[in-house]
Amino acid sequence: MTTENLIWLIPLPPLISFALIVLFTNKNKALSHTVAISAAFLSWLGAMIVFVRALGVEHFGEHPFASSINWLPTGDTWLKVGVLIDPLGAAVLFFVAWTILMIFLYSVGYHNFGQPAGDHDHAGLPPHGATVHGHTVLSVEPMYSRFFAFISLFAFGMFTLVVSDSLLTLFVGWEIMGLCSYLLIGFWYAKPSARAAGIKAFMTTRIGDVFMLLGIAFLYSVTGTLSFREIFTEEILHTLASVPSGVFGLSAAGLIGLLLFIGTVGKSAQFPLHVWLPDAMEGPTPVSAMIHAATMVSAGVYAVIRMFPLLSMDEKTMTVVAFIGAFTAIFAATIAVAQNDIKRVLAYSTISQLGFMIAALGIGAYVAAAFHLITHAFFKALLFLGSGSVIHGMEHGVFHTGNHKVDPQDMFNMGGLKDKMPITFWTFLIGGFALSGFPLVTAGFWSKDEILADAWGHHHYIVFATLAIAAFFTAFYTMRQITLTFLGSPRTEEAKHAHETPWTMTTPLVVLAFFAVTYGWVGIPEHFPVLGPLVNNNWFHDFVGHTLEHVPEAPEFSWIPLLTSLVVALGGLGLGWFVYKDVKSVEQDKFQISFLKNKYYFDELYEVVFINPAYWVAENVIYKFMDQGVIDGVLHIFGPVTDKIGSAIRNYFDVPVVNQFIGDGSAEVAWWFGKNLRPIQTGRIQQYFILSLVVIFVVGGLLYYILTLA
Amino acid sequence: MDFLNTHLLSLILFLPTFAAVVILFLPSEESKLHRWFAFGASLIPFGLTLYLWNAFDPNRTGFQFQEQYAWYEAIGSNFHIGVDGISISMVLLTTFLTPLAILASFSVSDKTKAYFMLFLFLETGMLGVFMALDLLIFFVFWEIGLVPMYFLINQWGSANRNYASLKFMIYTMGGSLGLLLAIQMLGVLFGTYDLVTLYQNWNSLDSGTVLLGMPVHTVKTIAFWAFVIAFAIKVPLWPFHTWLPDAHTEAPTAGSMILAGVLLKLGAYGFIRLVLPFYPNEARMFSGALAFLAVAAIVFGAFASYAQTDFKRLVAYSSVNHMGFVVLGIAAAGLAAGTKDAHIAMSGAVLQMFNHGLSAAGMFFLVGVIYERTHTRDLNQFGGLFPLVPVYGGILIFTSMASLGLPGLNGFVSEFMVVRGAYPVLTVYTAVAMLGLLFTGAYILKGIKSVLHGPMNEHWAHGEHKLTEINTREILVMLPLMVLILILGIWPAWLVSVINQTVVALF
Amino acid sequence: MIPLSWYLTFAAALFSIGLFGALSRRNMVAILLGVELMLNAVNVNLVAFWRYGDVAQMAGQVFAIIVFAVAAAEVAVGLALVISVYRRHNTVIAEELDLMKW
Repeated sequence: MTTENLIWLIPLPPLISFALIVLFTNKNKALSHTVAISAAFLSWLGAMIVFVRALGVEHFGEHPFASSINWLPTGDTWLKVGVLIDPLGAAVLFFVAWTILMIFLYSVGYHNFGQPAGDHDHAGLPPHGATVHGHTVLSVEPMYSRFFAFISLFAFGMFTLVVSDSLLTLFVGWEIMGLCSYLLIGFWYAKPSARAAGIKAFMTTRIGDVFMLLGIAFLYSVTGTLSFREIFTEEILHTLASVPSGVFGLSAAGLIGLLLFIGTVGKSAQFPLHVWLPDAMEGPTPVSAMIHAATMVSAGVYAVIRMFPLLSMDEKTMTVVAFIGAFTAIFAATIAVAQNDIKRVLAYSTISQLGFMIAALGIGAYVAAAFHLITHAFFKALLFLGSGSVIHGMEHGVFHTGNHKVDPQDMFNMGGLKDKMPITFWTFLIGGFALSGFPLVTAGFWSKDEILADAWGHHHYIVFATLAIAAFFTAFYTMRQITLTFLGSPRTEEAKHAHETPWTMTTPLVVLAFFAVTYGWVGIPEHFPVLGPLVNNNWFHDFVGHTLEHVPEAPEFSWIPLLTSLVVALGGLGLGWFVYKDVKSVEQDKFQISFLKNKYYFDELYEVVFINPAYWVAENVIYKFMDQGVIDGVLHIFGPVTDKIGSAIRNYFDVPVVNQFIGDGSAEVAWWFGKNLRPIQTGRIQQYFILSLVVIFVVGGLLYYILTLA
Repeated sequence: MDFLNTHLLSLILFLPTFAAVVILFLPSEESKLHRWFAFGASLIPFGLTLYLWNAFDPNRTGFQFQEQYAWYEAIGSNFHIGVDGISISMVLLTTFLTPLAILASFSVSDKTKAYFMLFLFLETGMLGVFMALDLLIFFVFWEIGLVPMYFLINQWGSANRNYASLKFMIYTMGGSLGLLLAIQMLGVLFGTYDLVTLYQNWNSLDSGTVLLGMPVHTVKTIAFWAFVIAFAIKVPLWPFHTWLPDAHTEAPTAGSMILAGVLLKLGAYGFIRLVLPFYPNEARMFSGALAFLAVAAIVFGAFASYAQTDFKRLVAYSSVNHMGFVVLGIAAAGLAAGTKDAHIAMSGAVLQMFNHGLSAAGMFFLVGVIYERTHTRDLNQFGGLFPLVPVYGGILIFTSMASLGLPGLNGFVSEFMVVRGAYPVLTVYTAVAMLGLLFTGAYILKGIKSVLHGPMNEHWAHGEHKLTEINTREILVMLPLMVLILILGIWPAWLVSVINQTVVALF
Repeated sequence: MIPLSWYLTFAAALFSIGLFGALSRRNMVAILLGVELMLNAVNVNLVAFWRYGDVAQMAGQVFAIIVFAVAAAEVAVGLALVISVYRRHNTVIAEELDLMKW
């Protein structure tokens, strides 16, 4: 099979799996997950074959795998859709395929496959446990098959997005993922909080999406194409850069870039559209890993990386991008410090890390952004899955003690899980260290270091400083999390009875931990002391950099960013351990600052400023006032007015004139005559004779008078 | 076969009427017979339409399958019918939806004879509008479509049906008034009502001519607005839309399906068939006003929909929102006539008409399904019904997503085309319309949230109120709609290329 | 030739006698007789005017014949009515027969 045809096929197995599960196998849990995982495996296989073949192509950047077909007739031309795997696409495809396969596998264990059905479990709510021989044990998820159907569709969306060669298909995958995130975040739909979180996620990202749609429409109308390879030619880019858009003094390229970037702000949960992501932790943990670490939020960043040639045509847009990214990075990192829910810490950490990537793009560090995107996907998926494993272990403990008041996600209920859950601990530690940028051995170090080096090397000192502080916070809250969760001694009875999770959950952890360490090694800078010469060249930079027509220069090596990243990473980790090693309860935590804990009150602000007014306007102004009041009011005037006119005609014309005068009047006159002439009718024949004679004489006389005399 | 080929359109047009007359002679008590007969009879025009679609040559410009008979010779009106790429897709939509609506009406048990007769008459009325190539014929069918719908709402509707049916009737008649006058004026001026002839004569009038004592420019402007208001009411465009929520809400389920699915398209079709070709200059001049009304419909429709607590009313307002995109596309095409933007916008508008026909019919049917079981449409009375009716829930989410314009389903393609076509020429309006698109999401999710998600309302879980799952017949109604929604989302070219050819030739 | 005025005078006398009879007699049969006299007076007039007018015009004679026919019919019906009334009310006195009074 040609590689191009193979690429077309990559997204299909999950779609087929979705259809199969929904239509046929939804009653059978084992069959459903078999179908879904087989599909994910097939896609993984296809992706790996494509990846390997891509490695074998010389000058792959100039000769990517691409093919397209006519899709939509537009006037006398066609809008084409197709597939494209260039170096960037290949690199992204690699991590997407791996993380998706791992998350699929993990979901089997997470949803307690093989456990008995729950005593009181109810579709739409998380499983509450089943009683077996008097013990309460975990029970299987009642909507098990449905979950696999949804994540299959989700995987389809992500693969579509990655292999697409145009913004249109990218947007299709983008929105399908949006739907799936809505369905998956609100998976336990009977919980009002989950239901609200799903809607919040969908609506917040949709704000970005409608801007993105405008950007796509704008781009399409200016260039007449949506295909990346056709847009990113010297000629078109320069046209775009020279055409003014008429808004904020931006060029067309700048405005399109900005509109597309707003889409990413929504999807990748950047400030000010970040509010949905923490709430999205209502969904099952594999969903959090998939949506909020490995795939969907990455898709936002991926889209910006894709559109980088366009964005980089306008300085102003790039400044906005850099500002938003850097601000989000530090803003979210500070919030993460004060969170107690193990998943929420990771959620804010994700927002912050995505900010790193966006900021990197804003300063032109294309390769560094792509590199951090990939390493982050691996270690953040690992961390989410690890946290899921922890929660699962804690649920064991909760069922053991039977105290359901204990929140299995609150880190202050944990402690000392290192011995109970060793695999989870070690993999989580690797993930955490990668997130913190622990020097040399972890992938996160290399990617984050490259961003800092780029910022320094290209003289973006403000961005550099901001990111460095954010990196310090990152290391700090990561260590806080690890310390509170795994180190020390158990703080609750439940934590004492926590239990390692089954192999289906630990295997993905191990695989992802492997990548969280090794993936960094493909991007060691050439001039790095000692290690640089050893690896000879920066493979990742060479490979992905060639996606662009002008391969970006790697920054000069400098000790300042390197030392900074060493200091912030080790300093943050050390401080985190030092502060939290002896914390016994939430009261002793000095960082429970309510301002941070409440996320700077953004939810409340939006509620007051946007959501409530919108509803109020919709209901009172538009529906009740405008439609029912003004428009229907005007219409309802027509009714009474017509009625008034009608009754006026009746009262003042019909009744007095027509009825009384003409109708009744003629009858009355006839009646009066009849009454008064009645006595003539005597019945005497001879009187009639005389009367006749009189009439004859009178009439004759009159006629005579008229005819002869007058 | 020869007879079939030369009289294909007449056959499609009058078979439903013929069937309705046959039903008249069936025994009154045999409801089952009425249903099946009407259903079977409505399938024949659908089959013939498929044949028509197959025989239609999209590469030829102009009207095909034309038939012309003397009808009202004294005033120069002929019974002239024919189809082009735009009208054939509407004919397809009509003949496709009518059998489904009839199948959806199988639960009607009251006065079935009259009910199914009216339905079949309605089909003839709607088809006639789409096929007519003569202004007077157009108007006659336009009015014919009105009467059965009035009775369907008035006789088989729910509580407030008298008010709703009267409002529907008076509103539409009010619009028709100007339409009839404008048509008469054209007829008097040119001595013919034939569209093809009129297109040429009317536009060749130079601006120096004096008509009816006024400059031709003024006359055209007046006639333009007479047409626009008539069609705007039918579409419906803000602020002429308030009949729609009432009519939709009170109409029987299948009535709402047809009302939203086809009748609203008559207005938009009028814009495309009559307004733009007759008044290209006025359409360009007033495209801003038209776009403003369209955007108002999009935004206010979405907001108003979001404010509803009645499920059916929510869906009804969504029609205002969606049809706004059709008119936005038409306005853009009017402004940019002759350019690629116009072609894309216009193809998008026609496709949006088709797509809205599918998804709105589906949504109304699904509301009807749950209303039939619970006898309430109040969103606050539902909640958490998903576990009780998983199949229904899945179908509802699917159809809602089509209505929301999820990529991969049909609504997205047409909305994208309209936005793409309108953006370069009506940038600000298009940008504001995005607010409506955003709120489309809000009200759709509100519907799903209130019906399916959340804590289960135990009232519907047990005993006599126990909610039953969607049955096979109802699934069979939804299945063709869903299949077509999906096909159009993934591969819209089969339909768009037919529309596109005509659009390129006309605009 | 006898002048026209003689005929007219004769007819007037005859008419007056008939009128007097019709108005003054109480017996219904006698009233009928009076009416017949008046009719015949008219006939005399008609024939006389014919003879002294344009002889080629036949109208006078034709009218006279129509009057005969009407008179014959009238007498037949009138007498039948009188007999019928007599059988019921046992009288032919006109004043006693005010059946048509209001």
